[in-house]
Amino acid sequence: MEPDASIETSSMIRVAVIPISDVTPLLFREYAAMLLRHHTVSLNSISSFYTEHQKSPFAHQPWESGSLRFKFILGGSPPSPWEDFQSNRKILAVIGICHCPSAPDLRSVVDQFTAACKTYSSSLVQRCFAFCPGDSQLEDGSVKGSNLILFPPADRQTQEFHMQTMVQDIAASLLMEFEKWVLQAESGGTVFKTPLDSQASLSSEEVIKAKKRRLGRAQKTIGDYCLLAGSPVDANAHYSTSLELTRLTADFFWYAGAMEGSVCALLMDRMGQKDPVLEDEVKYRYNSVILHYRKSFIQDNAQRVSPLSFELEATLKLARFLCRRELANDVVELLTATADGATSLIDASDKLVVYVEIARLFGELGYHRKAAFFSRQVAQLYLQQDKKFAAISAMQVLAMTTKAYRVQSRASIGPSNDAGQTHADGGKVHHHSIVSLFESQWSTLQMVVLREILLSAVRAGDPLAAWSAAARLLRSYYPLITPAGQNGLFNALVNSAEKLPLGTRCSDPALPFVRLHSFPLHSSQMDIVKRNPAREDWWAGAAPSGPFIYTPFSKGEPNNSNKQELTWVVGEPVQVLVELANPCGFEVMVESIYLSVHSGNLDAFPVSVSLPPNSSKVITLSGIPTKEGLVLVPGCIVHCFGVITEHFFKEVDSLLIGATQGLVLSDPFRSCGAAKLKHAHLPSITVVPPLPLLVSHIAGGDGSVMLYEGEIRDVWISLANAGTVPVEQAHISLSGKNQDSVVTVASETLRSALPLKPGAEVTIRVTLKAWQLSKTDSDAAASKGMPGSSVRQAKDGSSPLLLIHYAGPLTTPGEPETVSAPPPGRRLVIPLNICVLQGLSFVKARLLSMEIPARIGEACSMQAQLERGNTEQVNSSERQADRLVKIDPNRGSWGLRLLELELYNPTDVVFEAGVSLDMENTNNQENLSDNISAEYGEPKTRIDRDYTARVLIPLENFKLPVLDGSFLGNSSQNNGTSGSRNNSFSEKNIKAELNASIKNLISKIKVRWQSGRNSSGELDIKDAIQAALQASVMDVLLPDPLTFGFRLAKTSSDDINVDSDVTSCESGDSIIAHEMTAMEVLVRNNTKEAIRINLSIACKDVAGENCMEGDKATVLWEGVLRGISMEVPPLEEVKHAFSLYFLIPGEYTMLAAAMIYDANEVLRARARSDALDEPIFCRGPPYHVRVSGTR
Amino acid sequence: MIVCLAVVGHENNPLYIQSFTESDDALKLHHIVHCSLDVIDERVNNPKKSSPAINEAFLGLLYPTENYKVYGYLTNTKVKFILVTTDLDIRDADVRNFFRKFHAAYVDAVSNPFHIPGKKITSRTFGERVSSIVKPFGLNSAS
Repeated sequence: MEPDASIETSSMIRVAVIPISDVTPLLFREYAAMLLRHHTVSLNSISSFYTEHQKSPFAHQPWESGSLRFKFILGGSPPSPWEDFQSNRKILAVIGICHCPSAPDLRSVVDQFTAACKTYSSSLVQRCFAFCPGDSQLEDGSVKGSNLILFPPADRQTQEFHMQTMVQDIAASLLMEFEKWVLQAESGGTVFKTPLDSQASLSSEEVIKAKKRRLGRAQKTIGDYCLLAGSPVDANAHYSTSLELTRLTADFFWYAGAMEGSVCALLMDRMGQKDPVLEDEVKYRYNSVILHYRKSFIQDNAQRVSPLSFELEATLKLARFLCRRELANDVVELLTATADGATSLIDASDKLVVYVEIARLFGELGYHRKAAFFSRQVAQLYLQQDKKFAAISAMQVLAMTTKAYRVQSRASIGPSNDAGQTHADGGKVHHHSIVSLFESQWSTLQMVVLREILLSAVRAGDPLAAWSAAARLLRSYYPLITPAGQNGLFNALVNSAEKLPLGTRCSDPALPFVRLHSFPLHSSQMDIVKRNPAREDWWAGAAPSGPFIYTPFSKGEPNNSNKQELTWVVGEPVQVLVELANPCGFEVMVESIYLSVHSGNLDAFPVSVSLPPNSSKVITLSGIPTKEGLVLVPGCIVHCFGVITEHFFKEVDSLLIGATQGLVLSDPFRSCGAAKLKHAHLPSITVVPPLPLLVSHIAGGDGSVMLYEGEIRDVWISLANAGTVPVEQAHISLSGKNQDSVVTVASETLRSALPLKPGAEVTIRVTLKAWQLSKTDSDAAASKGMPGSSVRQAKDGSSPLLLIHYAGPLTTPGEPETVSAPPPGRRLVIPLNICVLQGLSFVKARLLSMEIPARIGEACSMQAQLERGNTEQVNSSERQADRLVKIDPNRGSWGLRLLELELYNPTDVVFEAGVSLDMENTNNQENLSDNISAEYGEPKTRIDRDYTARVLIPLENFKLPVLDGSFLGNSSQNNGTSGSRNNSFSEKNIKAELNASIKNLISKIKVRWQSGRNSSGELDIKDAIQAALQASVMDVLLPDPLTFGFRLAKTSSDDINVDSDVTSCESGDSIIAHEMTAMEVLVRNNTKEAIRINLSIACKDVAGENCMEGDKATVLWEGVLRGISMEVPPLEEVKHAFSLYFLIPGEYTMLAAAMIYDANEVLRARARSDALDEPIFCRGPPYHVRVSGTR
Repeated sequence: MIVCLAVVGHENNPLYIQSFTESDDALKLHHIVHCSLDVIDERVNNPKKSSPAINEAFLGLLYPTENYKVYGYLTNTKVKFILVTTDLDIRDADVRNFFRKFHAAYVDAVSNPFHIPGKKITSRTFGERVSSIVKPFGLNSAS
């Protein structure tokens, strides 16, 4: 049984090619390759070497079209026992190959060659080709006449030409030898024997039989030689004779042989043309061949020898001849029969050859699974041989089956096309790999194959193959392998790795499973923002800003959803999270794992990790981009079990997809208890040139700033450029909640510091004002206590964020503007962590009215106080007790209204509260006093912890200077008295006006507080004040149309300013009884129109608290001065002098009143009078006069 | 006697392989089933023009091997049924009938809403039903 047998084999001249003397295998193969090209030599070309010594027995030799065919057997082969039966099995020629430089003595070469030829007794022609002879060797005449042929050193082409010539010479010699042989055989009495014939001494019967059969066998052999000589017609003639004779002698074996020869002759005659008729003919004849081989089976010597191998060989030859898709049925039938027959073959090597051939033919037919099945049989036969070479063969054969069983090593798939697909089209890649997942379900078969590969590799001493097989077995089938088996594989891996050199790479990954977990986003400190060079605010619209992950505007970009884009910066470390899983029962030590970067622009840092049995871990792999461009991170390089392997993310991804579809045995991550993870896509990662990097630092620590409600504080933020590129553009903006708590940001400071060189630092000031805690917040704070509330505040994210967009230069220096897109900018987010504590809390506000008449005569008796038009002068008080109330006791505060604020201090520090009136935004009239906006409440109210305090705010200051129609509406008419109301007022107008005024008023009131040394702030109590003021705002805001004042005329001057008033007050005069006291009454018109009045002055003695109102007062003395008619020009003061003569010392009250004539609508509206003809009565505040008895 | 019955999905993935022999030859039967896919592939890819009915699901004898005969059946959804039997003379009609019954059982099994298409059939009910179909088959052909 021989491999590669085909019908044409019968026509091939077998030539042994043997190395002579020392030829390195490499050289030998090289020289042999030159020889092997000449496997067919046309008869035409050898005619020049051919000389006809006698009449050729090959009468019909086709000299024009025919050819001789060689089958070169490298290394030679032992003689076959079936040589007589099939002449093509004989070694008919021997070619020695000698490399002269390694064999200096040509003589010995010749001797060696001759000796080698002796073993080939059947050979007819011997030649020894000696290549590359030296000059001395060329001149050496001693070898002349021998078979040694020297190939002079020359270029390849010349050598090949030489070779061709030599082969043609050999062919011609062979042809002549064949002629000789045939002539001899025809005449001579050669006996043709096969092992099939009994070997024992021939019995007489046998001898007779043999003699009878001799002729038929001779004819068959001559036919064989005719075939070898390339003369099918002659062969056919001899075969026909032989068929006749063997049939007659029932020599079925030889009959079948002759038939085989005749088919070969037929095919040779047809010169390779194939048509259905020919095919049928061949099929028919071969079936007969097979039949006759079977017939020749002799039970006697079946133990020793059997024609079965010839039968199978014939079957295989036919199958090979027919081997085409269209005839698959026939071929399969033949092959199945062969396979069945092979089981009864005795010789193991025969069996091997049969299986090899069957596998080959099935493979050729496209029956890959069957081919794999028979290959596996071959491998098993090899493995039975228990030799290293057999194990290697077994391993190689098994490796061929891996494709059919879908367990092939990744090395055999070819990494090139795989890598190309990585990013090209995600969907299709998945499809392909899922199909292979489907096929991977033949786990029973696959595991067997892998196990056999492992076994054969171990036996063959190929540690890498063993490692790879064990890795594949473990990785794909761990759920089906018992813990003991897993440990066995683990040992196999470790043992193989020990035999491998350090740093060996294997294309098949073992454990652990590695999948992409996530790409951590840039921290808010290093956000990268695409730069839009066309806009001033280059960051706008480029980065996802705001709290929304999904914005409807990004919907138009289809890639956005699953293919996020990442930007890495050269020189800045990046991180990728991967998850490792070890689903097996032993601990996996990953010596190192790092990102595998095919684009070569990332320096990855290896990490070592140990995975306990059945566990998974998320680890961070980091690296530093080195060059701009795209980065491909298809997987990880893992150094585990002593071998370096590359684990691709997408393989695991498709495995996981398969697991969800139930195609794969199990999900390694899930079985390890890892959390279910959404499939992470590989984003496209771009590396950009270095960018500036601002690092922020808040002075006083990055912790949150603790502020009491309303507290105002400056925070200093230092920004340093930690990058390698200067910051050229920067812009500060605010984001987040409570943005109004940032009062000012010194963005100018930052701008003036640009460009910020690497390493440079700038400090900017941010003024913060703590916001009010909402009701719930403060409640929660109260219930939890302070620390709890502060934590909550910090977590809430209620703090504002400071966004700094900054960017480097538009073009990198030294590089021409080749890139269209400028390098991106960055965004720095500085959270201004404000922790607001509950501070001074406001309890309630009340409007109080005080009615204390002005007292004249203690310090500066009878000093008439100057009555100002709109404000009450208050800063001259000497009485400390009154200071907080701010009432001038001399002047009085009749109808004085005070706003009382009740404040509570729930904190554990002491607060000092003070009221200030911010008058800057009142409408400045020229007669406003200079010190109107002065700090009102110089003394602070100290509020201890857990105490309540009240702060009074006098509201007189807010009186408008002019009673103007604009406040009351234009249409109002005025001639009534107080208490009546004009219905023609537009209510709405009033409301609006009032509201505006109230707001104006309220905005002036500021309650500032201070606590400790550096906490200070302001209480936000606008709403409360508004609520308190709402009812009586008219009285608070609007001045009376006329104001009255008294003063002593003695020292009075016409000057109506405060300073004079003050001096007069200090003069220390007093009123004495029984003296004429000159006094003046001052009437001021607060409207813009002249008012005619009838003034009256009353003076009563004081016996009750309030002697002016009510009838119950007991009035002992009373004097009234009436009927003083006067006209007061608008916004001016009129003085009316008069004198009083007190008879009795004591307390008196003076009161000025006036009747207004022809009141206009403004006045009437102010007096709230409805009736048109009602006179309007105006009354000033009472003044106390103390009259002392004597001087 | 039926020794093995297999359902193979349209991607040539095994969905169900059940052997009905006592001896431990599962691997061999797996190989036989696996190899028979070659023949089915070949039949599907090179349909004979002379085949009587295009809608014929029964593929007939796929190949005889050793002591077994392998029959095939292809559903419309390219799911293959493979039958390995030791009965060497067996009528095609019997096998066809058997496959029809088996097909019905398979359809019922995959109609289970809890069955994931493409996943191995693990239903015990299906297994019982199959064995109830398999048992009388041997008896019929024997008689």
